[in-house]
Amino acid sequence: MSISREEVEKIARLAELQVDEAALPGLVDQLSRILEYVAQIAALAATESAQPFHPGPAAIRFRPDEVRPAPLAFGPERMAPAFRDGFFLVPRLGAFEAGRDDAAEEDA
Amino acid sequence: MTATDPVVDRLAAAAPLHALLTPTAEVRSALAAQAAAAPPSGPLAGMPVVVKDNICTLEYTTTCGSRILEGYRSPFEATAITRLKAAGALIAGKTNCDEFAMGSSTEHSAYGRSFHPIDRERVPGGSSGGSAALVGAGAVPAALGSETGGSVRQPAAFCGVVGIKPTYGRVSRYGLVAFGSSLDQIGVFGRTVSDAGRVLAAISGRDPLDATCEDRDPLPLPAVPENLQGFVIGIPKEYFPSDLDPGVRRACDRTIRLLKDLGAAVRDVSLPHTPYAIPTYYIIAPAEASSNLARYDGVRYGPRPAGAVDVRALYRATRGHGFGAEVRRRVLIGTYVLSAGYYDAYYRRAQRMRSLIAQDFRNVFDRGVDLLFTPSTPTPPFKAGEKLGDPVAMYLADIFTVTANLAGLPALTLPIGRVQGLPVGGQLIGPAFLEDEMLEAAFTLERSVEPEAEA
Repeated sequence: MSISREEVEKIARLAELQVDEAALPGLVDQLSRILEYVAQIAALAATESAQPFHPGPAAIRFRPDEVRPAPLAFGPERMAPAFRDGFFLVPRLGAFEAGRDDAAEEDA
Repeated sequence: MTATDPVVDRLAAAAPLHALLTPTAEVRSALAAQAAAAPPSGPLAGMPVVVKDNICTLEYTTTCGSRILEGYRSPFEATAITRLKAAGALIAGKTNCDEFAMGSSTEHSAYGRSFHPIDRERVPGGSSGGSAALVGAGAVPAALGSETGGSVRQPAAFCGVVGIKPTYGRVSRYGLVAFGSSLDQIGVFGRTVSDAGRVLAAISGRDPLDATCEDRDPLPLPAVPENLQGFVIGIPKEYFPSDLDPGVRRACDRTIRLLKDLGAAVRDVSLPHTPYAIPTYYIIAPAEASSNLARYDGVRYGPRPAGAVDVRALYRATRGHGFGAEVRRRVLIGTYVLSAGYYDAYYRRAQRMRSLIAQDFRNVFDRGVDLLFTPSTPTPPFKAGEKLGDPVAMYLADIFTVTANLAGLPALTLPIGRVQGLPVGGQLIGPAFLEDEMLEAAFTLERSVEPEAEA
């Protein structure tokens, strides 16, 4: 199972990951190699109908639903690249606004 | 001269290994502050422990070996760290690792590769290679690492130390930076089974801050038995393939004879789905990673490249610049196997295969086998650069460790011999939450095995 350049570009967009043009051919080769390798699990017979495996406790334990202070040594203003008046600052939403290029393209 | 100076001197002497990411001057002042605040007694009183850089600490930065978290300081500390300090241990700095714990050689760190403590041309293993190298070099008696597919046991075997991966749910993961959430566990390194076991006991037990941590008391440390009479030890044939390194095979054969001499009943067993473990892992782990690593977007923490015209360009540029080659590959593979049209062929099938791998172990343990013995790695430590050109070749370095992660089982490696001077590890795998029996066998084996002897 190999993967095409167009598919790599598509999943890079889905993963919000910028990939340099120059790095693409190598990446296509490496991802194809990995996918060809993992395709071995296709050998799993259709009759082997094991249920998906979940590690850990059989049931989720819940804590009492009560408001408690978050035990943080300092607030987000110390971590954030841009922060003002209690808000994280980001550039304009751009591509998420209606009618923009690749938001529409991925919905197609 | 203060009480903590000798450990700082040992860490400084180990600087050529590039195993510690924290500058030693910073370790010195942090240790002095911790020593002043530490409880005067405790099971680990005064024990310096270094910590893989994907476990959150208040004293030091937590970068996960990645540019995307360069300079990041966590506003909270991992439960394991809080418990180590309560037991009297001193946190002696953060160790190098493959970026976000993705790798088997510590060559995929954004801060440069770490070196094997015996042969600088070779890798210390990974992803917790910095922790393994510092314990192997004798700089500290114990260290914390993390496992998703073998990232404690494989470097422990390479560096000639003890490495334990506890049962999934034995140790709280609060403060362990997430990679593959159904697989991740904090693990420990020690010069001896006792050092590693004591650290594991201190960090284990229930934690309301981690819903995947089982509601159990901390692990009690077992007494050292006289011999292995009463133990039934299974030897799974799939872990001794025809292309197994001959030196590793000789070391394992010698250890199997020793297990018999110590009174254990040794039985050949089969875990038939083992050949599918690496393909299964390299679908499930990247799928979970692609989801967990979605949080690194340049908005809430970490460096942000300048000049993005809109928020989406900010995400893409932050991640494009911040993630290294292996993380990028895994994020892309994970996104692919979870995407429409491929989910059933890859992810769903891998989940079913994971069940069959776990069932293989249950079948063996249900038939009277107490523990399994296998090689920890297919080869002794390999040379730096040797596997960088082929991601799949690197993945295969974890072929004997990844099954315990997929099945959520406890497993341990201890040194069993040398091949041309390089350490070889032998692995014990046990049933879930029976770490105490695994440690009993390891204590006994450690007392008789000759880790320095050529196989």
